[in-house]
Amino acid sequence: MKRTMTLNLTDAEMGVLEALCEEKGLSKTALVRQALRLYKSIDDRLAKGDKVFIESADKTDKAELMVL
Amino acid sequence: MKTPITTVPLKNRVSGQFEDATLFQGIDADNLAHIETRWRPLFGLRRFEAGRSGENLSEINAEDAHWEWGKKAIAAIRDPFLYDIFILECGGNTQAIMLVRKGGEKCFSRHPDHPRAPLIYVDFLSTAPWNRPRLVKEPVYKGCGRVLVATAVNLSFEEEMAGRIGLHALPGAETFYSAQLGMTDLGKDREYRGLRYFELPASQATTFFLPEPKPERS
Repeated sequence: MKRTMTLNLTDAEMGVLEALCEEKGLSKTALVRQALRLYKSIDDRLAKGDKVFIESADKTDKAELMVL
Repeated sequence: MKTPITTVPLKNRVSGQFEDATLFQGIDADNLAHIETRWRPLFGLRRFEAGRSGENLSEINAEDAHWEWGKKAIAAIRDPFLYDIFILECGGNTQAIMLVRKGGEKCFSRHPDHPRAPLIYVDFLSTAPWNRPRLVKEPVYKGCGRVLVATAVNLSFEEEMAGRIGLHALPGAETFYSAQLGMTDLGKDREYRGLRYFELPASQATTFFLPEPKPERS
């Protein structure tokens, strides 16, 4: 079953959403769904005690990712 | 709980006839019982024989024999937002099983055609041992793996991912994914036990369901 919600975004937020939809070839619904899946996937790992790191392309910088 | 999706014809190589197989989304206790009581003993027997003859698991097409599908099924059932599980049944038996991820860190393309585009990641795929060339002398059903990969491609289209799928292949399955399914080999992944990573890009997904061209007569 699918449910509908209204999302209030600023112009800047909507601009980012639309730009990502264009770049990824996804509808707004599909993009939000994928964003939620990624968020949940990472949050589940962190909840288990795993750590997530972001490394720069030249491998000189590495930062631990924290989520809300 | 499982839901039938469609019926597909599978060729029984022993009888030479096509039989109707049912594709399900989800899994039930019967499927897990089949895997534990029918698949596992056959895998065990062949592993024992291979051990005596000096063959390795890749040579007998049984590198996945140790996978614990019960645990994987529970993970998928608990988190349907991130996972889907599919079953192919034919002749009153579980013929193949596949677990896919629909989102998360594994679900981004590495293909040069569309880097970082979302895709369906095939986490695990197994066919029944009696369907496997090299594992048994007379494999029974042909095409179980292809049906499940096609299911992943379909899911990718449903999720607006343009049919893109990705997976890491066990060494014994590399030829199946590259030569038989035409997936792109993107090389060994040092971050994933050195397994080779394959993708079906969007450009090939649209033609994935077309029948293979027949060789021209000279």
